[in-house]
Amino acid sequence: MAEGAKVSSRQGAFLMANVIFSTLIIFVPTITARHARQDAWISIILAAGAGLLVGLLAAALGRRFPDQTIFEYPAEIVGRWAGKLVGLLYVWWFLHLAAESFRVFGEFLVAIFMPETPVAVLIVLGATGGVYAVRHGLEVITRANEIFLPLAFVSVVVIFILAAGQMNFQRLLPVADVGAVQVFKGAAVALSYFGEIAAIAVLVPYLNKPREAGQVAVAGVLASAAFFLLVMLGILTVYGPDLAGAYVFPTLNETRIISIANFLERLEAVNIVIWITGAYVKICFYLWAAALGSAQVLALKDYRPLVLPLVAVAVAMSTMLHPGILELLDFRWMVWPPYALSTFELGVPLLLLVTALARGKGGRPA
Amino acid sequence: MRKFVRLGRGTAAAAGKCAGGRGDGRAESKKEPADRFKENHFLGPDLQANLARVKEIFKDCGDIIYREFLFAQREDIRMVLIYTDGLVDKDQLSDQIMRALALDAPVAVAGAEITKARAYHLIKERCLCIHQVKETGRLEDVIEAVLSGDTVLLVDGHPCAVVNGARGWESRKIAEPESEMVVRGPRESFVETLRTNTALIRRKIKNPELKIETMKLGRVTKTDVAVVYIKGIVNDKLVEEVKKRLARIDIDGVLESGYIEELIEDNPWSVFPQVNHTERPDRLAARLLEGRVGILVDGTPFVLTVPCVFFEYLHAAEDYYERYPVATVSRLIRFLALFLSLVAPSIYIAIVTFHQEMLPTALLLSLAAQREAVPFPVFVEALIMEVSFEILREAGLRLPRQVGQAVSIVGALVIGEAAVRAGLVAPATVIVVALTGISSFVFFYSASVATRLLRFPMMVLSATMGLFGLIMGVMTIVTHLCALRSFGTPYLSPVAPMSPGDMKDLVVRAPWWAMLARPRLIGWKKPRRQEPGQKPAPPETGPGGKGGGRSGGRG
Amino acid sequence: MSKRTACLLLLVLPLVLLGGCWSRQEMNELAIVLGAGVDRAPDGRVRLTLQLARPSAFAGGAEAGGGTAAKQNIVWVVSETGDTVYEAERNLALKLSRCIYWGHDVILVIGEEMARGGVRNISNFFMRNPQTRETIWVLVSKGEAKKLLESHSELEKTSAQSVGFLVRNRAGLSVILKDFQMALASCGTNPAAPRVELQKLGQPQGPGMEEKLQHEEAVITGTGVFKDDRLAGWLDTSETRGLLWLRGEVRKGAITIPSPGQPDKLISLSLVRGKTRVEPEYDGETVRFNVNLSFEADLLEQQSTEDLTTPEKVAAVEMAAAEDVFRKCADALEKARGEYGTDVFNFGEAFHRKYKKEWKVLKDCWNEEFAKAEVNIAVEAHLRRSGLLTRRASLKQE
Repeated sequence: MAEGAKVSSRQGAFLMANVIFSTLIIFVPTITARHARQDAWISIILAAGAGLLVGLLAAALGRRFPDQTIFEYPAEIVGRWAGKLVGLLYVWWFLHLAAESFRVFGEFLVAIFMPETPVAVLIVLGATGGVYAVRHGLEVITRANEIFLPLAFVSVVVIFILAAGQMNFQRLLPVADVGAVQVFKGAAVALSYFGEIAAIAVLVPYLNKPREAGQVAVAGVLASAAFFLLVMLGILTVYGPDLAGAYVFPTLNETRIISIANFLERLEAVNIVIWITGAYVKICFYLWAAALGSAQVLALKDYRPLVLPLVAVAVAMSTMLHPGILELLDFRWMVWPPYALSTFELGVPLLLLVTALARGKGGRPA
Repeated sequence: MRKFVRLGRGTAAAAGKCAGGRGDGRAESKKEPADRFKENHFLGPDLQANLARVKEIFKDCGDIIYREFLFAQREDIRMVLIYTDGLVDKDQLSDQIMRALALDAPVAVAGAEITKARAYHLIKERCLCIHQVKETGRLEDVIEAVLSGDTVLLVDGHPCAVVNGARGWESRKIAEPESEMVVRGPRESFVETLRTNTALIRRKIKNPELKIETMKLGRVTKTDVAVVYIKGIVNDKLVEEVKKRLARIDIDGVLESGYIEELIEDNPWSVFPQVNHTERPDRLAARLLEGRVGILVDGTPFVLTVPCVFFEYLHAAEDYYERYPVATVSRLIRFLALFLSLVAPSIYIAIVTFHQEMLPTALLLSLAAQREAVPFPVFVEALIMEVSFEILREAGLRLPRQVGQAVSIVGALVIGEAAVRAGLVAPATVIVVALTGISSFVFFYSASVATRLLRFPMMVLSATMGLFGLIMGVMTIVTHLCALRSFGTPYLSPVAPMSPGDMKDLVVRAPWWAMLARPRLIGWKKPRRQEPGQKPAPPETGPGGKGGGRSGGRG
Repeated sequence: MSKRTACLLLLVLPLVLLGGCWSRQEMNELAIVLGAGVDRAPDGRVRLTLQLARPSAFAGGAEAGGGTAAKQNIVWVVSETGDTVYEAERNLALKLSRCIYWGHDVILVIGEEMARGGVRNISNFFMRNPQTRETIWVLVSKGEAKKLLESHSELEKTSAQSVGFLVRNRAGLSVILKDFQMALASCGTNPAAPRVELQKLGQPQGPGMEEKLQHEEAVITGTGVFKDDRLAGWLDTSETRGLLWLRGEVRKGAITIPSPGQPDKLISLSLVRGKTRVEPEYDGETVRFNVNLSFEADLLEQQSTEDLTTPEKVAAVEMAAAEDVFRKCADALEKARGEYGTDVFNFGEAFHRKYKKEWKVLKDCWNEEFAKAEVNIAVEAHLRRSGLLTRRASLKQE
């Protein structure tokens, strides 16, 4: 294979946790608060549970083919050309995710901190750094993540503790106010973001012990769910469901409300740090997956020459995807969950696994 | 194609008639220009012929001395001592060699028959009272020996030369290291002589497993270089790799270990050094014990150690001699200083220009008042101050001692006070820049250079894109550090890849009784460095109990 | 470095550098807003008043501005009208040499007329704008907000800061923008905001002060009660205490009661901490609220001469204190729901928390329901400490 990296299970779990967490804090709070109001935290728990299943599914599929990524083994399962098509579709999937992530982080930064700056500039700057990391490969991305992720998680905990002064846990009551349907609606949206754990299908062959892929998936989902739950609880208890459903990025507002001893205030920088570092690793990972996938589908020896063109495509795509933040949010809240879940996160892996089992392809889970 | 090093043996032909004393192993690069010596590799039996050849080679070298004299007062057995004036210990030369051979020889060889044929063997075995003797039959070895400070004895009638080690030259005394000062700890430092340095290490590690392999590098300078490691702890592949890379070196001269450093690095373009160096024998010994390899170079007190990880630059020797609270606090301060020296001006610029909402209101108003007076944008101001500070610092390094005081006063007054008074810079900027400058002195010099250089791109990034640009820059640096390797070890271990056991010696320093293992990625061959249960505890008492129990610490 | 990489970098980096830095704002290009006021202009439009800081007067350290002249030039108050708040801001920006910067705005004062007309429309700007923070203190001014912002402060550098710190110290009700907005959005409560007005307070001392005989300082004098988003009326300071009690936001204060043995003399207790618990009850017809208040107080002043250290006296004092608090709460309740017909005590939310099904029915006419509800208040007082004295020390002993 083109990438000689070896990643330990713990590093893999960190990576998956970061990949999921970064998107969760962007999109999920507002829409879940809108659907489920003060029960949004229940939605999160439900979504995390379902996310575990998605992760285990992808891991199980990966374990049947411990030496191959999701770009390679569909060829074995459904035949050469259909398999290559599936592989290409997954390349598209990762590229789309990367472009979306580029756009999202650019938009949010611009909207909140630097309204006059064109989003494209931020994206290009981020992409330049990204190219450098992706060319170095998975190991470097994982190592950088090992530095950034603890920072992000610690920051989340610190913010939660500091904002405790403004929290009122009674705002979480009454429970089960809006009815189960709404809660499940919120959970469904959140699930599509937890479902990005399906990306572990690319990671499995590079793990030191591919048979631990299931544990990696579980650890990733649980870690990100736990910390995100902290965030969600913080938002709900500080702002209540009405405001939480109205803000674009409630996590930031939660940080802005902190004021301890009239001195410890104005800590948005912490938010920026969490945000950007998470985005960076996530985007690098997706771009790496896309580049690797292209190389594998096209049977090339090395994916490195493909990195720069793919990043350029992703950057260009990101500017064309959405006209503005409102459409972006609408897309991600309304259109994305059914699309993502039914295809790449849940639908396709399920089909592949079932077909593989039926046809007896792939080894026993290693 | 460059060939590998073949260590240890000279070529077979040299064995010849000489016992071919091996002494320490020597590396022979096959690319050694065999120009002048091609046909004349070996000495002949005729003294005058040999002497002529040597004199031919040393033509115009006025400091090579040729002392002809007789063995045991015998007219027919002539000998010549060849040595370099200034490189030999004249007392030893006179007493142990000349006197022994000229005056005391008859006594020494009493009973044996002195003939021209046997003279050489008698000399070698009986007469020479010198402590180190080597034989060689090759002309190149003779030349090398003379130039290294040995005394070469050519005996008429024998195609071998005896090389006596009577070296002695003016050398710096072992003194306190100037670049790595400690409050507590040994105050010895390496000197410029290789042999003294190896002796200093031997004194620290009295173990036959400590291997010292020497070689000569540099086509013209033929500098002695020694590779030091502890067999059994070190990874053998690492030693091989080090030797391989050293053998690859083919330059004119190796004057300082820095030459070698740049030639064996993993990533020559990176701002961050991947080979560490030290002036202290105790640090070298500590690193050897962790499984590292040391490279000593004759002519410089700075010893290279590989592999090197980034966090070594934040550790001082003293951390291990003081108790753990002191060490831990010092390290935390150093980490803070590292962070500050890289990003402090950038954060200042970013917050003042882009993110004023992050300042407390009172501070904002005060800063705004200061900035009313200043004509430049913050970035330009900070840049001016930083550059001035760098100039000051460089001047401080180069100037002679007497002028030092004046310059520091001028620097402080001019840069600090007057610039503020004139309204060129705001006081806050001066404070930030001064803090940054001081921070960079806190940790190891070579790494501080990296942060000094990187500070400027960070400032540019933060001046254009605010905190976002700064964070992108820092992340790119971190990614670069993650991608660096030093002789196979990831540069940022033990943080990335994370090995929790090593965290005990990273930002904090766990007490000695808790540091059970060597660094995982370097010393994995023999991971356990001490037995658990060393923590001092009161002795166990009890009815018929163990009595003394553990009496605290290691004996 | 390969030529290609160098070319790429050459292409990318200028994008960052040459394009200019769009969001850069040097500090001396900022017009720092310290306080904002929204009024209704005579023609029905919105009048925005901003109190801008003049940084040169704020120089710290050696060059602190001295003398009255400097003090009076510390802020600059400007005002402009527009159809919406943002339009007013932009109209104002046309007249200012620097960019209006909201990041350090401390207070938002809503003029009385504006408040009576409905605040929902103006609060939207302050929530959307990324620069305005959710921690801005919201106040209602008696009269025009503009007049308030034009005043000076003696103790602090600016009146905006002075009022802000007053509110921060919880002189009366303290509401930040977030809480105000949440109350607006919630069916179970209505917003309330502290009332601020100018009062003659003290006399500045020192040379050059002859011109200013009296100083008018902005002080908190009560609370403005809203019904939905319109100002319904005022509560005075004593009723504000009751409001705070019922909302559970009381922090410190004085309770002055007649001494148990000598009712014509007074004693004062200092409140240390208070707790409020509201329990709703609903039997299908009437809404009932059981409010349990409990607090701890220290005896800090005694005008009577009796010895208050005996257990009976302590109990009596506690009773009297409880009675006083009860009175205040009852007054506040009366005023708010009797006279103004609004629930500003968050009781509706308490009801919602317990009876979520019934709430769905009641929430649309909650204010009326609340006006009919039964509220039982039970107060428990604890006298803990008595300062440094046990009994009065200045009385002549026999």
